[in-house]
Amino acid sequence: MQDGCTLALDGVTKSFSQGRPEEMMALADISLDVAAGEFLTVVGPSGCGKSTFLQIAAGLMEATGGAVALDGRPVDGPPGGLVYLFQQYTRSLLPWRTVIRNVEFAVEGRGRASRRERREFCMEFLEMVGLADFADRYPWQLSGGMQQRVAIARALAAEPRILLLDEPFSSVDALTRMELHDMILKLWEDRRFTALLVTHDVDEAVMLSDRIAVLSSRPSRIVETIETGLPRPRDRITTPELPRFLELRHYLLESLTKPKDHAA
Amino acid sequence: MLHRLPVSPGRIAAVLLPVLLLLALEQAVDSGAVRRALIPAPSDVWGELVYILQGGHLWAPLGKTLYLLAVAYGCASVLAIGLGLLMGRSRAVYNLFEPLVEVIRPLPKPALLPPLILFLGIGDTMKMTVVGLAVFFPVLINTVQGVRGVDPVLVETARTFGYSGGRIVSRVVLPAALPFIFTGLRIALGLGLILVVVAEMLAGTGGIGFLIVDMQRTFQVTSMYAWLVILAVLGFLLNLGFERLEARLMFWSRQSEGRA
Repeated sequence: MQDGCTLALDGVTKSFSQGRPEEMMALADISLDVAAGEFLTVVGPSGCGKSTFLQIAAGLMEATGGAVALDGRPVDGPPGGLVYLFQQYTRSLLPWRTVIRNVEFAVEGRGRASRRERREFCMEFLEMVGLADFADRYPWQLSGGMQQRVAIARALAAEPRILLLDEPFSSVDALTRMELHDMILKLWEDRRFTALLVTHDVDEAVMLSDRIAVLSSRPSRIVETIETGLPRPRDRITTPELPRFLELRHYLLESLTKPKDHAA
Repeated sequence: MLHRLPVSPGRIAAVLLPVLLLLALEQAVDSGAVRRALIPAPSDVWGELVYILQGGHLWAPLGKTLYLLAVAYGCASVLAIGLGLLMGRSRAVYNLFEPLVEVIRPLPKPALLPPLILFLGIGDTMKMTVVGLAVFFPVLINTVQGVRGVDPVLVETARTFGYSGGRIVSRVVLPAALPFIFTGLRIALGLGLILVVVAEMLAGTGGIGFLIVDMQRTFQVTSMYAWLVILAVLGFLLNLGFERLEARLMFWSRQSEGRA
């Protein structure tokens, strides 16, 4: 397993419909350095361009200005070693493939020796997310939380050096979300990839991250970055009771809800 | 109680209706109310059918018709799916072909028979061409629609896993668009059968369409009706087989849509 890699965004801007009257500035001058093996979360109000930011970081969308570099190499398309976990898990799984075949989708390009080897390799990841018994079911036969776990297993099977998470926990119920948090933390601690999460959920941001970057509303810029300084391993019950957790939560909620007059 | 019956009364009536009509027709012909020279008794047609089947006279014309249909349907479908993938994926290719397609597509394809006969004569090539044209457009249109409807999240997922170009098309776009493509293929199969029969009637030397016209011209009316029955059964079986195949291959389509 390779270690996580660094991601650097330097003065990234993004305009939609550029040069036309309806031109909209989504991102204004975003600079951010994600360290190797770090868990960094970008929080921002809804519609502030968080997904746009992440898609640019992943090389799925072209920036209007600025540069993105992964381990110092410029990103001009989805780079190897980077995996993107989409918010819409129902839409990112292939409905004609079984669960295990969906996980295999992540590694098929890498020419593993045989079908059986590939399957065995991928089964390990299904076991990690507790879905080994569901390998031969189809995604649409599973609940939402289970589908997202399939997507997580698939993302990890690609052995990412950096994992981008686009609000992947926002469309499951609260209990399932907690379980998924535990799982992603455990997997991240085991495998030490770099993790970059975007979310509007402040508790989630504080619970998971080493560092939190606060994004303003459109046109977005990074208002500040905060070290959480919370001990690891995190615990779903005791961590949120720490004074530092509450302090961060308070501060972030305040700063995210404050500039509303300016957003309107 | 009625609602516990495995077969509903409506269903029984639906099966009884054609049987009753056949019996009434039999009666009408027997009593002389209908001229036997125009419409033979159903029992006579049945007798003719048995003769055709037992005498082995079915296979040559059926084989000829199915051969024409299969070759034309296969080639046209492959071409249409190929072009449809290109048009669905590339804006430039779409813009290039769209006007041409929109001009030729609404044209009733039998109207092309006279010019095609002019160019290609009355042989198999002409028949396959006209059948192919009828098959091509519904498959093309549905493929384009299906490809354009593929969820961008699926394509982007594939891209982040290192898939590109041809492999995105073969692993993601084509399977995702397949339910649409199958709809086109099913419509095209019906149209193909119509066109192959029409072409054979106009310029045939064998095949079921030719036989139906030939029997009519030579006043073998009973035989003509027998071949019509064979054609009806063929159309029914082709459609049934296709629906079975579609249900088998596309089992995931309705299921996943229901949950999305």
